[in-house]
Amino acid sequence: MVVQRNPLYSAISLVGVFVSLAALYVTLSAPFIAAVQVIIYAGAIMVLVIFVIMLLNVEDEELRPRRLRFLVPTAIVLAMVLIAEVAFILFTVQVTPSTPASSALSVGLTSSIGIGLFTDYLLPFEITSVLLLMAIVGAMSLARRGDLPPNARVVPGAQVLARDVLSPVAGEDLTAVETESTDEAAQLLGLEPRNRSGKGE
Amino acid sequence: MEPQLSWYLALSAILFTIGVVGVIIKRNVIAMFMCIELMLNAVNLTFVAFSSYFQDVTGQLFVFIVMTVAAAEAAVGLGIIITIFRNRETLDVDESSNLKL
Repeated sequence: MVVQRNPLYSAISLVGVFVSLAALYVTLSAPFIAAVQVIIYAGAIMVLVIFVIMLLNVEDEELRPRRLRFLVPTAIVLAMVLIAEVAFILFTVQVTPSTPASSALSVGLTSSIGIGLFTDYLLPFEITSVLLLMAIVGAMSLARRGDLPPNARVVPGAQVLARDVLSPVAGEDLTAVETESTDEAAQLLGLEPRNRSGKGE
Repeated sequence: MEPQLSWYLALSAILFTIGVVGVIIKRNVIAMFMCIELMLNAVNLTFVAFSSYFQDVTGQLFVFIVMTVAAAEAAVGLGIIITIFRNRETLDVDESSNLKL
C-alpha cells in the first residue's frame, strides 16, 4: 500500500486490507465488528477518500525522495539493532503457556455488544455522539467558501461592477452595482449589447 | 492448527509498522491520511484479538468507539485537505510547512 505512487491505487489496496481484516474478525468470532468494518471503513470512509482524490485530481506521480539517500545506511544499522532486540526477546524471555481459546458464541454477537454499550459504557457512547456532531460542524465550516458574503448571489450572466467603472465622476467609489444580465451591464457601460448568434448584423 | 493469539498480535504489529513507515515516507497528504487509517485498523485488530482471547466483549466496544473516532477524523481531515488544496494548489506536505500563507 505504501509503495504505490498513485494515491488511488493506495486507496484500492487499503480497501482490500479492510475487507481482509473483516474476514479476520469473522474468524475471531466477532461478526458485528466485521459487518461494521465493511460498512463503515470499506464503505463510507474509503468512498470519502476516493471522492476527495478524484475531486482534487492530482495526477502527478510522487517522486522518489532523493534527500533521504544518506540516511539509508543509518536506517539499516538501526534495523539490525531492532532485529537483534526482537531476537533477544524471542529466545530468552520465558514464554507463558497459552491456553487455547475456546469457541465463543455469545461474546461477539450484536446483542451482547448492545447490552454492554448501553449499560456499562453509556457515557462513552454519548460522548461519541457529541464527537460526531462536532465533526459534522467542523467539516461544514472547513469546506465552506469564506470569500463571498453570505447573501451574495451568483447568477449566470449577471455582472457586478464597481461604480467608478461606470462613470468617471464617481471617483474612487467602489460600490457594487448589480445588473441582471450581461446585456444590461453593457448598456450601463455605454457599449452595444452583444448580439446573440449574429442576429441583426 | 488453531490460530494463536500471538499471530494476530504479530499481524497487528506489522500493519501498524507499515502505517508508521507510510506516514514517515509518504509526502502526499492523502496517502499519509490513509496510513493513519491503517494504524487505527491495526489497533482494532489487537482489540478484537484480545476480546476473543479473554472472552470479554469490552474490546469490541472499544473497536466500535475507535471506528466512530476514525469516521469523525475522516470527515474533518478531508475537509482540511480540501482547504489546503484550495489555498496552496498542492498536496505535498513539504510545500505546506507553514501554517500561514
